[in-house]
Amino acid sequence: MDNRTYNIFFHTHTISGIIISAVLYVLFFTGSLSFFRDEIINWERNESVYQKVAPGHLDIALDSIANTYDLYGRDISINWPSAERRMNVSLGASKDTLATDAQKAGAFFYMDTETHQNFTYVDSYSLGEFLYRLHFLAQIPYPIGYYLSGFIAFFFLFAIITGILVHWDKIVQNFYVFRPMAKLKTLWTDAHTGLGVIGLPFQFVYAVTGAFFMIKLVVVAPAVMVLYEGDQVKLYDELEYNPPTYAMQHQRSESLASVDGLVAMTTAQWDDFKPTRVQLLNYGDQSMKVLVEGETAYNSQFTGTGKILYDGVTGNLISKKDPYVETTYLDVVKNLLYRLHFGDYGGYALKLISLLLGLISCFVIISGVMIWLVARDKKHLSETKRTFNRILVRLYLAICLGMYPLTALTFIMVKMLGRSGMDFLYPFYFWGWLLLTILLMLKKSNGFITRFTLLWGSILALLVPVANGIQSGNWFWKTFAAGQLDIFIVDAIWIGLAITGFFIYVHIVKKEKRLPVASANL
Amino acid sequence: MPANKKYLTTSWLQRFAKISAGFLGGYMVTMALHMALAQWTDRATIMITTAFTGFILWAVLMMLAFLARNGWKIWGLYLLLTLVFSLFIYFGKMYHPIAV
Repeated sequence: MDNRTYNIFFHTHTISGIIISAVLYVLFFTGSLSFFRDEIINWERNESVYQKVAPGHLDIALDSIANTYDLYGRDISINWPSAERRMNVSLGASKDTLATDAQKAGAFFYMDTETHQNFTYVDSYSLGEFLYRLHFLAQIPYPIGYYLSGFIAFFFLFAIITGILVHWDKIVQNFYVFRPMAKLKTLWTDAHTGLGVIGLPFQFVYAVTGAFFMIKLVVVAPAVMVLYEGDQVKLYDELEYNPPTYAMQHQRSESLASVDGLVAMTTAQWDDFKPTRVQLLNYGDQSMKVLVEGETAYNSQFTGTGKILYDGVTGNLISKKDPYVETTYLDVVKNLLYRLHFGDYGGYALKLISLLLGLISCFVIISGVMIWLVARDKKHLSETKRTFNRILVRLYLAICLGMYPLTALTFIMVKMLGRSGMDFLYPFYFWGWLLLTILLMLKKSNGFITRFTLLWGSILALLVPVANGIQSGNWFWKTFAAGQLDIFIVDAIWIGLAITGFFIYVHIVKKEKRLPVASANL
Repeated sequence: MPANKKYLTTSWLQRFAKISAGFLGGYMVTMALHMALAQWTDRATIMITTAFTGFILWAVLMMLAFLARNGWKIWGLYLLLTLVFSLFIYFGKMYHPIAV
């Protein structure tokens, strides 16, 4: 690679990297924890759920919903995308021509599959949901947060491509270079390039799929306008996202087929097949249809989406799509974009590796910021410029590293106070974040910020399982023994983080005693 | 060691040209190419493929714009490519009108 090309890649990598760095850190930190979104929710509620299985008693659930809503003529969608006890229920407007205003209003709520109690979105808002939403900045008013996180992901892709090209000529020999005892700058550089190369495939996949989730409209909009002549429904029909529609007969049916029966029949249809969603179209009408959709187990066939359409009155099978025979390229891509990002196809082992790679990416981001600072801390630069750089990096570190103790403290507070929801989490987390950032900035030392957040983050992390044990009585050895792995793993992750944090802390303190000069300013 | 300045663009106008060519021009070429392919082959297949290849190609074109020596020439090239792919879309729509 000639010098010109090398320096251009280097510069574009630096600039794109430093602009996105702090937000990207937030995305990676919350994203790493969000692999365990469902587990964190179950941990908070102390409700262990073994796996995503079709909830039983859907007929009873429907009866209970019918006490509150007139269901006639509505399209009802029930799905259970998370390993939680609550399922999602969505009611469309009634298509009855004589429908009252109440019947024409749609609704969305969660229903406990065991007690059949309803919860609104706000009732159900939990710490797991909060961290998951912070991962795509959903707390910033829509659509700003979505677009911001989407474009950050896109520029991250750009930074990955330019970064690997900068490194290209020396990719093999530098991979084995690690000089922790040398100058601080070489330590950061070796860590940035070494870990960056290890995490590259992982980060590449997350950048591409992340951009797709948040800013797909950017690539979809021109296609809708030009190829589909503005008809968005046609595009989504063609991509098989929309459920079929059927004309109403406007005759109520006295008896309906048992939904539980149809779900059971679908489950039994194919090996290793699990229903994931039930749609009741034109509910209660003579024309009612029941569409049961599902997928094969990931270790049986990675993408296998199957569905069966039944007549809702007689329960007769109308049509079916066999997951083992009719899985198309469209199904594979649609499934893959999500599976690769969510990392939920390989059990806890894969989730833990993903968590580790996510946290490594956090470190790659921080080390990149540190290289940026150290490389610019030169005597020939004006003092104003150097001061500005130092303050900027200190602010970055305070914002980013402060998340560790703050998040641990939030876990403890949620357990100890038994409070969650937006009205607690928003003020606690965001005001706490601001306050902590200001306090960390006061000390004017990057070394202090690092040591303080590591030490206090790890102490608080160790207290998370203690808070859970005291409050619920469900100590981590009990959850482990009882096989409540989802609750256990949250405690275990915090213990693991605490041990790693203490280890790094001790290491840093020792090193600073040995090399007091090198780290004095930083 | 920040990048050596002697290899970087110093003129503001050139910088603006390269950044805008990469971001906007790169986007236009990406979308036009994918839509032309969609129009002449299987539409749904290309549309779902765009979900990932779209962002990758866009990022690569953005990077290539910075390698150009003249920002306006790369704008010219990207506009020309967009025009060519748009002609494919135009004729594609004549030969394969939107199927209902």
